[in-house]
Amino acid sequence: MHARINWAFAEVCDRATSVEELHAAFMREIRALGFSYGACASHVDPLNPPAEAVMMVDYPLPWLERFSEKNYAKRDPVYWRARRQSLPFQWSDRVFRSGLGADQVRILNEAAEAGLGDGITIPIHAPDALPASCSLVIGPDGIDPLDAQKATWYGVYAHESARRLRLAALPAKPVLSPRERQCVQMLGQGKDDGAMAIILGLSEHTVHNIVRRTMGKYGVGSRVQAFVRALKDGQIRLEDVAP
Amino acid sequence: MIHIITAENRRNYHHALMEMHRQRKTVFIDQMKWRLQESAGIEIDAYDCPEAIYLIEAVAPRAAVTGSARLLRTDRPHLMGDHFPHLCDGPVPQGPEVWEATRFCPAPETPAGEARHDLLARLIAAIMETALIFGVERVTFVANAALAPLALRAGWEVEPLGTSKRAGRDRLTAMSAAIDQRGLRRVRARAGLNGPVTRFLGGDLLQAA
Repeated sequence: MHARINWAFAEVCDRATSVEELHAAFMREIRALGFSYGACASHVDPLNPPAEAVMMVDYPLPWLERFSEKNYAKRDPVYWRARRQSLPFQWSDRVFRSGLGADQVRILNEAAEAGLGDGITIPIHAPDALPASCSLVIGPDGIDPLDAQKATWYGVYAHESARRLRLAALPAKPVLSPRERQCVQMLGQGKDDGAMAIILGLSEHTVHNIVRRTMGKYGVGSRVQAFVRALKDGQIRLEDVAP
Repeated sequence: MIHIITAENRRNYHHALMEMHRQRKTVFIDQMKWRLQESAGIEIDAYDCPEAIYLIEAVAPRAAVTGSARLLRTDRPHLMGDHFPHLCDGPVPQGPEVWEATRFCPAPETPAGEARHDLLARLIAAIMETALIFGVERVTFVANAALAPLALRAGWEVEPLGTSKRAGRDRLTAMSAAIDQRGLRRVRARAGLNGPVTRFLGGDLLQAA
């Protein structure tokens, strides 16, 4: 019953072979809805993003430079809130504004001066992706309330498609064997080689080798790093080690 | 003035519509504790669609919204048909000449008492004027214990469609109101209105205004 979703957009996303192509299609779609600027992006320094980051941003350059220089990605209240909820929120919302630090309010005020007055942010959560969100600045004629949900769908779809393209260009992530996963999970539970050996019914020597192999797959020199990488990549789940 | 907003002119009213949805969230979810879906600080449900007609009171299209109501066709999915058929002793009134009015919403800061009663009277006049423009003969609505006597007091000729039923701490009654010139004159007289309260502005007119 709501205003219809433009399914052709999904097709464009699925077929896109470059992030630039995707970005252009995304901006076309959200401008048609009445938004003036958009940022569908990982929560990182926008001018020096890591290779896996999604960065489809058309904010005014002076603002991006300031954001990058001041390292606002760490304190931006929009990023802050997006990490803690799944529901979209509007920047002018009182609930969002209350409880912000003075420096965070200052970031919002500076953004407003840069032409990023009021907007909505769609939090994006995927377990093995960098924290991300899609922020859309409301244009002078406002947004049809019926289109707000459409924007959510466009944002999430565009982010997922961009991520797919980014990941395809990167070396494949290591995949752990079931044994390796078991061991690295137990590392996270604070077990040492001896305890793991008893639980798994293996020799301590074998367990030691499995852990070394896991560290090798990630190219790291410590057990803690191996655990953190496996967690970040989604090879093990946080709820399995920290119930 | 009360703006009549339809699929035809809603693109000129994005700000007013957004403000209406925000006020509906404050009034129905925060203040009245209705269990409705909330999204990004606004209340919007499956019946909000381009085909719904919104009546929004504001001195100008971009001015502050002081009250609103929603009109739904009854030959499409509507609240009474989907959620409150048990309030009607007979069949739920449906058809091209019947509308359903829902989401009577005063701006959250409207003082209780006289100001709210006056606003409701103006919204009722606006519903009648709009119905007359579109050739609609009857408007149904679900009234809670507070709304039912107020609608009568405003001079609206309403009749219950069934016995009222308890809903939580409230009582709900399905109501039907006849729409005609005589009734509109009576509502206007009670509200002290000496002419139409509605404005129906198309895109071009709106830019000129």
